[in-house]
Amino acid sequence: MADRENILVTGGGSGIGRAVAIRMGKQMTVIVADLNEDGANETVAEIEKAGGAAYAIKTDVSDSASVRDMKDFIAKDIGPVSKAFIGAGIFIRGVVGQIPEEDWDRMIDIHVKGTLLCAQAALPDMVAAGRGAIVTMSSDFAVMAVPGAAAYMAAKSAIYSLTKVIALEFAPNIRANALGPGPIDTPILKSNRTPEEYEKALGALAEGLPIGRLGQTEEVAAVADFLLSDRASYMTGQIVHPNGGQLMW
Amino acid sequence: MDTVIVTGAGSGFGLALTRRLLEEKFRVEAWDRDEGSLSDIDDDSLSFRQLDVCDGRAMADAVAAIETSAAITGLVTCAAIYRVAPFLEITEDDWDAHLSINLKGTLLTCQAVLPRMLDQRRGSVVMFSSLIARRGAVNSGAYAATKGGVLGLMRALALDHARAGIRANAISPGIADTPMPRAVMDEDMLISKGEDVPLGRIAMPEDIVDATMFLLGQESSFVTGQDIRVNGGAGLF
Repeated sequence: MADRENILVTGGGSGIGRAVAIRMGKQMTVIVADLNEDGANETVAEIEKAGGAAYAIKTDVSDSASVRDMKDFIAKDIGPVSKAFIGAGIFIRGVVGQIPEEDWDRMIDIHVKGTLLCAQAALPDMVAAGRGAIVTMSSDFAVMAVPGAAAYMAAKSAIYSLTKVIALEFAPNIRANALGPGPIDTPILKSNRTPEEYEKALGALAEGLPIGRLGQTEEVAAVADFLLSDRASYMTGQIVHPNGGQLMW
Repeated sequence: MDTVIVTGAGSGFGLALTRRLLEEKFRVEAWDRDEGSLSDIDDDSLSFRQLDVCDGRAMADAVAAIETSAAITGLVTCAAIYRVAPFLEITEDDWDAHLSINLKGTLLTCQAVLPRMLDQRRGSVVMFSSLIARRGAVNSGAYAATKGGVLGLMRALALDHARAGIRANAISPGIADTPMPRAVMDEDMLISKGEDVPLGRIAMPEDIVDATMFLLGQESSFVTGQDIRVNGGAGLF
């Protein structure tokens, strides 16, 4: 495994980030960064169980000192990264008239500043190697909108814009693309819901989608894998939507 | 063995895709008006049919001739024409030719193949649009109109048949090294187009084939109704 390349996966402790870490763990050594250390450790354990190599590092992506610690850990203990999946995110509901400033700041810091800081941490290795690929975690909500989640939508739009600029500034050797998932069956759906409410929410979301079911995290990870691979070597600055047809544009 | 139907298979993207599909052990129904370089391929898994995408009946007959034991898992519509003309000089004949081959031909092809996919309750349709659909290009009015139309047609197919297990997506390539642009510009001009592309080069057919294979396969199982823009960063929207 010594000749394996390294990938940084932020938000790798749960949901889509975990699925990406596990999938990429079949080809690469994975640095699983997450604020939730237990989640990151569980992801690492799964990768190791499948015969891969991975390292967990507790990281607050919205805090430059924490991201610097992560970068130092990677440089000292692991080695340069050639790919990065920047996926850490949270969801806070809130209508425009009543979003508390702390919620707004937290959403923008984790998603937008977090994406910038993690890209800044990963890109120098790629520049030095003259090659690399980044996938960021945007959303259908970068383009479409629903009421009640203004900060999330603003954050996901900003991630998509930031991704395009990374693509332009680091072309031609490094590519950057965004994922724009639709409704995916992730732990976010289960939080704050009883099992009955969860089943009901699942049914309602599925009914509203052309494809008639929610996506699985593995289906999003497969798209991330494609975008990170040389099979997407002529794609940069794009957003690809594993969304079951929720948004077509 | 899974079968993929490719229109416009005699040249350009269609030809490159046909070669890849054969390498990856698919059976390929290669349709085109002219056999082109397909005649150089010696492979039992390839069957060429001389077909015009404007002839729905002939395509339905071709589908009927494919034994039902072979699942038709993919359809890729590459057949298209591209003729340049300034806006005021687009002739009615040229307009009609673009519309009938590029747009109506895509509809008729899908209508010929979809019934089998619906019986199977699975299938992935990939239509070819173009960077020109969204960004435009000088002297390309008729072509641009049809490639925008293809995106609408793709979304309609995706919506109408999603619940039946059919996915439909489009690929919008940037300028690529294929006979289509070579017919309207010389080698130096074609290669120099890469200087305007962030990734620093024009596309090779293989770049487009990679994205098509992604859309045909299981990796894209939750991707439908999408336009995958393989353009080297030339169009960021």
